[in-house]
Amino acid sequence: MSQTGTSFGRRRFLQAVGVGAVAMGGGGLLASCSSKDGTATTSAPTGEPRKGGTLRVGLGSGAPTETLDPHNMAVYPDWAHAFMLYDLLNYPDPTSFALTNHLAEEIAPNAKGDVWTVRLKQGVEFHNGKTLDSDDLIASVHGILKGYVASSLYFIDPKGMKKLDERTVQFTLPKPYSVFPDAFAGSNQFIIPADFDPKKPVGTGPFKLVDFKPGDRATFAANPNYWGEGPYVDEVVTIDINDDTARVNALLGGQIDVMSGVPYDQAATLKGNPAVALLESETVAWTPLVMRIDAAPFDDVRVRQAFRLIADREQLVAQAFLGHGKVANDLFMQFDPDYTGNDLPQRKQDIAQAKALLAQAGQSNLTTEMVVSNIFPGLIAGAQAFVEQAKQAGVTIRLRQIEAGDFYGPDYLSRPFTFDLNSSTTSYLTTCGLWTTPDGPYDATHMGTDKEYADLYYKACETMDPAARKQVVAQMQKIEYDRGGYLNYGWGNVIDAHSSKVAGFIPDKVGWPMTSYRFNRVWFTS
Amino acid sequence: MPATTPGPSHAPADHGADALDPAAGDAAALGGPDLSSSRGGGRALAVRAAVMLSTLFVISIVVFAATQVLPGDAATHILGKNASPESLARVRTQLGLDRPLVSQYWGWISGLFQGDLGMSTSARIPVSELIGSRIANTALLVVLAAAITVPLAIGYGLLGAVRRDRPVDHLLGAFAIVFTAVPDFVVGMVLVFLFATIVLTVLPAVSLIPIGENPLAYLQEFILPVATLVLVSVPYLGRLLRASMIDVLQSEYVLWARLKGMPERTVILRHALPNALVPMVQGTALILAYLSGGIVVIEYLFAFPGLGSALLAAVQTRDIPVIQAVCLMFAALYVVVNLAADVLSVLLTPRLRKRAAV
Repeated sequence: MSQTGTSFGRRRFLQAVGVGAVAMGGGGLLASCSSKDGTATTSAPTGEPRKGGTLRVGLGSGAPTETLDPHNMAVYPDWAHAFMLYDLLNYPDPTSFALTNHLAEEIAPNAKGDVWTVRLKQGVEFHNGKTLDSDDLIASVHGILKGYVASSLYFIDPKGMKKLDERTVQFTLPKPYSVFPDAFAGSNQFIIPADFDPKKPVGTGPFKLVDFKPGDRATFAANPNYWGEGPYVDEVVTIDINDDTARVNALLGGQIDVMSGVPYDQAATLKGNPAVALLESETVAWTPLVMRIDAAPFDDVRVRQAFRLIADREQLVAQAFLGHGKVANDLFMQFDPDYTGNDLPQRKQDIAQAKALLAQAGQSNLTTEMVVSNIFPGLIAGAQAFVEQAKQAGVTIRLRQIEAGDFYGPDYLSRPFTFDLNSSTTSYLTTCGLWTTPDGPYDATHMGTDKEYADLYYKACETMDPAARKQVVAQMQKIEYDRGGYLNYGWGNVIDAHSSKVAGFIPDKVGWPMTSYRFNRVWFTS
Repeated sequence: MPATTPGPSHAPADHGADALDPAAGDAAALGGPDLSSSRGGGRALAVRAAVMLSTLFVISIVVFAATQVLPGDAATHILGKNASPESLARVRTQLGLDRPLVSQYWGWISGLFQGDLGMSTSARIPVSELIGSRIANTALLVVLAAAITVPLAIGYGLLGAVRRDRPVDHLLGAFAIVFTAVPDFVVGMVLVFLFATIVLTVLPAVSLIPIGENPLAYLQEFILPVATLVLVSVPYLGRLLRASMIDVLQSEYVLWARLKGMPERTVILRHALPNALVPMVQGTALILAYLSGGIVVIEYLFAFPGLGSALLAAVQTRDIPVIQAVCLMFAALYVVVNLAADVLSVLLTPRLRKRAAV
């Protein structure tokens, strides 16, 4: 992406609020889950799906800037709409988190990993009746590379794309890239027709656009020719209700059938109400304290370690997530198969050791400032709890609270100490590509300046053997654990709620709300 | 209409005006000439109108200046930190930010007179298009609230004054204390709890009025926001009327009327009430001004698609043209309502009316 260039603030903002905002208020990251492949796990719901009805969806973070251009999405409802209109090549299964093919039939590399071949499913139709083919895939990749999140496909040379036949495209990469399929599961990599017109958007998704009023509401009709599961409902109407409490009230009053982002403090109230059901998901989204490893006082690893030892993680989880979460061990991507956070010793509060480290670093009685913004429920409460804990080690932290727009504005990458909300694509490595590497647009800890870590990242991207790659990734995580800039104290759950008359939603590890907006799998029980 | 029949029909109006209590003080503080001054009412009104216009002019400068001192300019907001100087310069030229401040202000204000409110920087559509249907929604909300509040407040004030220190007056007093002490959004939340979500689910909890559609077709969505505004406005206005009504009822001319043996009903409705209405008019103006500001909170609470929620969203996205337009609209409403209140005060005050006619 030319992660620098234009409207960084907004892109990043939406990444966090839309893509990333996993934790509860916002969205999460990717989208769509499957159906056709038999992977669709429809657990809890009662009975057989029934047809019919209009599903009314309450969404937060709406704005007049909403767009249906899936490669330039900016605010949270954009993803809800995109997941209805379009499909991805592949996507993590909500339950197993394993990548599952959607529009792709197969994504296969050569031995070296610098040539990847994507074969599309046969007979998939766009809403206008056109059949999905190779030209559409090539056009989509061009679209992504021109869009806000182009950096997610930084490893692709557009000139290296070659149409082999009607539904097969070969990608010749400048360098081997081992996690090519994972990168396409990112929630901006939607497939559009080659003659895409954002004013009359068509996709292959389960719903067709009927009406769109940015910042207010959008109406969709079921796509009867959908290649996957469902859709069961006739119509979906999304309504922007930005205030969390208003959204909860609309659900309780029966004005909507499902809502995203239940605030933690209201989850208990809703739980006791028989008219609604909570949908609580453990996800890969993480909400760390962010220390810039190349800015004082955090450029001294002893200060970073001291801060990680100051954290009483149980208490932080209790205060920030009100119990809707669990303790973390500073690393991210907890559901990646290569995640090592559970194998490394769990970090616990150790004030004596923290004080000793600070003294060694010459930072006893350290005073610093933490910049925060109310970007997800519980953040401010968590920050305040950490400020109190820090006092025990003689550290004084001043909280400076700013608007989300400023937080994700031009200074986003330059602040030494913040509290952020991150989410990611589908695997540890693709996540690193965005969040912790030299070209990562969101590398707020400046982890990319750690050359050993960055070199390991590039090595892992070129290591095709999964077992060998796992070892490299483990080394990267060990460095993160020993000297990284994230203080990831806990995983907060994403909580949505829906009318008890609605069935088909299941918890989703990805982090997007409402089972990654797969309304095609949802039905009314009465 | 005002006391034209018996008794010494002089002092009461002035008396009433003195009893304006908070309203009078605030209205005077707004910087208009005192209508009961020695100048004629008509001339005073003309002066007042001129002052109002200059107030609006000053407000427009303040609103414009306030949005200029925000850190960073629109170009850096749009392009971000790493934008090249060339593209920044290009966007600044597009937005007219490279022109002198006075020229920018002139461009903005002259656009206003032509109905051009500028372009929303976040939505990239004309501000008028963005807030057009919201103006209708908010206007209807305020009008409905005022139309219900004023008669209720008159009833409240009359009842409280006539039954002064009786149980019903104490009850009304308690009601007033509760609804003045409790913040408006709490009142709204309790109403939602009672009628929309938990106890009963008979009314819409949030006002989901589709943008651009006729709000009259969605009157049900107005019930709770209007009820909230009415509940917090009636006690204030009613207490104001009760106080001035009590003053009037203790005046000599009322005593005179009673001594003449007039029916109490006539005394109160025909002679006392009209003279007690002047502070009420000023109070109504203040209530309307409160409504236009307090409405931001209420609109937020009910997710009501009006000017208040547009202002809130614009602040969050640093959408300066929208902030400017909405602030100016609220200010204009405030000013116009005050002017209207002054005109009404004159009409309700015989002495001033006569002077105006001279």
